[in-house]
Amino acid sequence: MKVMVVDMVIVGAGGAGLRAAIAAAEADPTLNILLVSKVYPMRSHTVAAEGGSAGVVRPDDSLEHHFNDTVTGGDWLCDQDVVDYFVAHCTEEMVRLEHWGCPWSRKPDGHVNVRAFGGMKIERTWFAADKTGFHMLHTLFQTSIKYPTIKRLDEHFCTELIVEDGRCHGVVAIDIASGEFTFVAAKAVIIATGGAGRVYQQNTNGGIVTGDGMAMAYRQGVALRDMEFVQYHPTCMPGSGLLFTEACRGEGGILINKDGYRYLQDYGLGPPDPWPRNKAMELGPRDRLSQAFWHEERKGRTIATPHGAAVHLDLRHLGAKKLRERLPQICELAESFLGIDPAEKPIPVRPAVHYTMGGILVDGETATALPGLYAVGECSSIGIHGANRLGSNSLAELSVFGKVAGESAARCARSLPPGPIATLEKQADDVCRRAINLIRTETGGERLAILRDAMAESMEMGCGIYRLGPQMKKTCDTLAELKERYRQLQLYDTSLGWNTEWLAAIELGYQIDVAQAIAHSALNRKESRGAHSRIDGFEQRDDANFLKHTLAAYRADGPPAISYRPVNITRSPPGKRAYGAEGERLDPHRKEQSHDGR
Amino acid sequence: MMDAKSIAEERLIVEVLRYRPEEDAAPVMESYEIPYIDGMSVLQALQYIKDYIDGTLSFRWSCRMAICGSCGMMIDGKPQLACQTILRAGDVRSLRVEPLKHFPIERDLVVTMSDFVSKVESIYPFIIPRSPRTPAEGEYLQTPAEMARFENFSDCINCMLCYAACPQFGENPNFLGPGVFALLQRYNGDSRDAGQNKRMELVHTENGAWSCTAVGHCSDVCPKHVDPANAVNQNKTNSALDFFLRFLPRRGQSERGV
Amino acid sequence: MRRPYLRPIDSLWWAKPPYLAYTLREATGIAIGAYALVLLAGVICLAVSENAYDAWLRFLASRWSLALHAIFLVAMLFHVWTWFAIMPKTMPRLVIGGRYVEPRLITATGVAIAALASLVLLVIALRILQ
Repeated sequence: MKVMVVDMVIVGAGGAGLRAAIAAAEADPTLNILLVSKVYPMRSHTVAAEGGSAGVVRPDDSLEHHFNDTVTGGDWLCDQDVVDYFVAHCTEEMVRLEHWGCPWSRKPDGHVNVRAFGGMKIERTWFAADKTGFHMLHTLFQTSIKYPTIKRLDEHFCTELIVEDGRCHGVVAIDIASGEFTFVAAKAVIIATGGAGRVYQQNTNGGIVTGDGMAMAYRQGVALRDMEFVQYHPTCMPGSGLLFTEACRGEGGILINKDGYRYLQDYGLGPPDPWPRNKAMELGPRDRLSQAFWHEERKGRTIATPHGAAVHLDLRHLGAKKLRERLPQICELAESFLGIDPAEKPIPVRPAVHYTMGGILVDGETATALPGLYAVGECSSIGIHGANRLGSNSLAELSVFGKVAGESAARCARSLPPGPIATLEKQADDVCRRAINLIRTETGGERLAILRDAMAESMEMGCGIYRLGPQMKKTCDTLAELKERYRQLQLYDTSLGWNTEWLAAIELGYQIDVAQAIAHSALNRKESRGAHSRIDGFEQRDDANFLKHTLAAYRADGPPAISYRPVNITRSPPGKRAYGAEGERLDPHRKEQSHDGR
Repeated sequence: MMDAKSIAEERLIVEVLRYRPEEDAAPVMESYEIPYIDGMSVLQALQYIKDYIDGTLSFRWSCRMAICGSCGMMIDGKPQLACQTILRAGDVRSLRVEPLKHFPIERDLVVTMSDFVSKVESIYPFIIPRSPRTPAEGEYLQTPAEMARFENFSDCINCMLCYAACPQFGENPNFLGPGVFALLQRYNGDSRDAGQNKRMELVHTENGAWSCTAVGHCSDVCPKHVDPANAVNQNKTNSALDFFLRFLPRRGQSERGV
Repeated sequence: MRRPYLRPIDSLWWAKPPYLAYTLREATGIAIGAYALVLLAGVICLAVSENAYDAWLRFLASRWSLALHAIFLVAMLFHVWTWFAIMPKTMPRLVIGGRYVEPRLITATGVAIAALASLVLLVIALRILQ
């Protein structure tokens, strides 16, 4: 086992991890910073985000509007002080990215352009064609190369955190190419490993989005918060789950059922015209749109495809020219994978899991309750998304809180003394042994894919768009059973170098733990709020009993312990979450003068 | 009772070049037979093999939508992204999958990528600002026409298919190569950047633009229409101009490759 | 354990698709060079003596020479075509009057100019012969 001693280690080199590394390098050029990622940075799943990143720029927009949209979108489960910080820093970060070269799409006069997005009152979504995440990630990765103090361990898979005397001291990672272990001892550890959408069958996520960091922190006693809130993105490819960005709807796309009817008007999001209109119809929030699909399917008004029911995303009226210019990647996706030209035919779409609002509990500085450990990005729950995330808030989160994490962790690395390396090495040796033990030579166990498919199917059935108590309970039981069966997992690849079956087995372990946190959190929330919607007597939001965050605490032998924490409500008391015409009627800011958002 | 599905079910033969350094002296072809579903991708075929037939098959993949660049490989002798290579009914009975040409094989379909990444890091792949600006001063102005000058080069997903297509890279592994030149030109062509002179050092060398003989196959195989051949060959002109004009006082912030 | 395996490249890559077209393109350069040598021979013969020049002219009229010149012509035409086909790749994307000029247009323009120039030269040459 190799040993590396650094000041700060960042697990995950996606948007959040890279931004944190840059922030730390700028805050303190004397620190040595190590980025550890199981894939090369440009493969991180930030690359697949399409639509855009929020930042108030228009003179008729304001931080207050962005705040209200976010808190309303989150169904009042957001920590409002953190949302205040967030909206106040988005624009600055987007400008910084632009200075670093991010090719934001422009207006003819050369200023950055913004577009409409779901749940946003006024256009504030910065976009780089329809590949915003791709451009942000490549900009961040290429910019990180400027800093000599940022080093990387590419294609190194982290297995466990090293915790001693109530403090996090680093991480053990497998060099994927050789199968050898490296113990990275650090004074500050930032987890930026992304979400856990792969625990579901149909999802927009890449194969790497398996909740690694969430599980690693969780197993060390750090709570996972609000895990029951899993976002279904309403417009994904049936079967594969590949994403058709919300920007399709921002540019004017509509959703129609098998009768060619814009069905969203039946679900409190209408009237359908005038169109387009922010926060109405197809620009409503994602949870509402996904729920509308579910109802349409029950009513038999969806279109049957070889990969299940779907509705149609109709972009034909945008015209070929606008499509190629504003949504080029969408056109390519539709053509390559479905053989459809969106200028000629509508695209079949259905909801698929896209984002995990919940994650590692952190405070406003991205610090966890475990000294030395920080978390940022989709893997964390800092309090801005609440029960439902608005599109384009997540890419902005990576930059805003990536910077906070880098600076916080840098302060921590400067102030804490180094750990007891000899003692820690012994712990690390045990970690290596545990990881190697997964590669057993006895036969007779089950194939990895069988367990993984069973987990994914169970999550889809029990913790889907709409939830029922008995189904959730069944999923909880299935997951407990899968955890047992996991002990007898049969691996066929017994090599050390590039043994991706071994790594997939470790990922499955992470996923089962995270899935348990999701399922048990969901079972215990006896109300409907945001993305957690029940149809078993708990259809309403229950602020009296459940205006609080769910915490899931890991227990080695048994299901997670569920507890609750209050939500930080500062100035926006829970109101009615309304969109469409009703939303406009209830909007207190309808007649206000515009503020300068900067 | 006959099951309609099993009568109609088609089979696909997938031949994969395997290499397990801990066991094999050299790569060896292995053949698998899998159920074939119309519209499945080559990636899905490989995943089926790994999940249900042979767990030892290793390959890189992630996004499944041709944007992360992980799954480049030789499919029936052509460099392609496995996730985007769709098998349609009646077309295909067998498939040959090999790792990307011109790269050393680490294991099965996984090739050594570290040299490529080092080359990316070597070309100053970041904005060296033409004029300083603080975030408070807002964004640099850049018109759509100015962005059009480098936009396609910024679409490179680092999939390295162009390297598998480039015979000069095959002959000279130290050639910077098409993808890296696309990134270089992405920055040289960006109106906000003034790093052209710095990057010119790398362009001049034997492993720079002059290793290229304008075969052009790199642009043919690029899944993102980046046109790396244009990036490399533009820089031959730039390199020559730079050489002949070097006696003139440097115009400093001047644009190259206009 | 890492033991990367480098597959040897095919030493005949240039003779097979998709590279064969490229190889033929490059080979036209040899034909151009050979034609230049023929012309050079003529110039040298002209400098040496009238007899030498007449011998060169006789060679030109021979059957072998005509066959050779037929090959030169085909190679030259292919050379012109591929020259202008690759030309857009050697320059930054052209924008004229705010519109992006398609590479095919650049190629077509180049070929058209070459054709026109050839026609003019042919007419002049025929006039001189008369």
